[in-house]
Amino acid sequence: MSVEVEVDENDLAEMVEQVWEAYLDPEGVSPLMQTYDENQPSEVHSSVSITGSWSGHVVYASSRAAAKRAAAAFLAMELEEVSEEDISDTLGELANIVGGNVKAMLPAGAQLSLPQVVLAPESSARYPNTERISGVYGLWEGEPVSISMWQSSTDTKEEGA
Amino acid sequence: MTPMRAMVIDDSRAMRMILKRIVTKLNFEAVEAGDGKEALDLLADMTEVPALALIDWNMPNMNGLEFVMKVRAEPRLREMTLVMVTTESEQSQIVRALAAGAHEYVIKPFTEGAMIEKLALLGLVPTGANS
Repeated sequence: MSVEVEVDENDLAEMVEQVWEAYLDPEGVSPLMQTYDENQPSEVHSSVSITGSWSGHVVYASSRAAAKRAAAAFLAMELEEVSEEDISDTLGELANIVGGNVKAMLPAGAQLSLPQVVLAPESSARYPNTERISGVYGLWEGEPVSISMWQSSTDTKEEGA
Repeated sequence: MTPMRAMVIDDSRAMRMILKRIVTKLNFEAVEAGDGKEALDLLADMTEVPALALIDWNMPNMNGLEFVMKVRAEPRLREMTLVMVTTESEQSQIVRALAAGAHEYVIKPFTEGAMIEKLALLGLVPTGANS
């Protein structure tokens, strides 16, 4: 029986809003403006895997400029101070925070992996046997940012198996 | 006034920087560790035990829950206030952490104000430090 997923775009959008309020836009002046364009480009991405009662991935993707801006906001730095390591750390933590909150909305018994960061477009990654089931796509100060959920198609455990 | 010491334990350098910034603002001297094991090693070498530890849950080598249990089993570390700071937000996980000996629980994402309020509730910073 396939596990029913109860995390929809509204849930993701609410999490995104909380992340922006806490770290990326505490003044509330530059929210993520949704475009609903799931094909918008990315230059960097990070992901966490969820296994157990639900199997799949949560992916945070953005342009490099948006990633740099996120790191500057997250770490309270000036844009020109931000290093590659800062970008990588911030992307990883953003995936971790969103993924952890997604996990909390799934059936009990799910585990979260440590985050993976790839400084390359989301389209360069392959999540075998998965299907994109939900996502928030938007522009942050004109730069593309997305948060998406990919469910493993092998997530069809027989009851009692 | 001599600053109290706080230990920030998180495998994310970015999150350690955020937490360090907050506690430093509250007149704590911050010590960083990348996982529970590193934190225990640092504690073993300290003559003065930190007043506060902010602890992530999901970390390599030794996770936050294991760290809390180790600390609680060590009489020398009894006075350290333990706050879980984590994305593990299921009720069952919160109950597990508190049962293991954590004093408080903060779910990521958190605002600076929310963290300061939590520390005020624990009596570690004056009430109103957020204003």
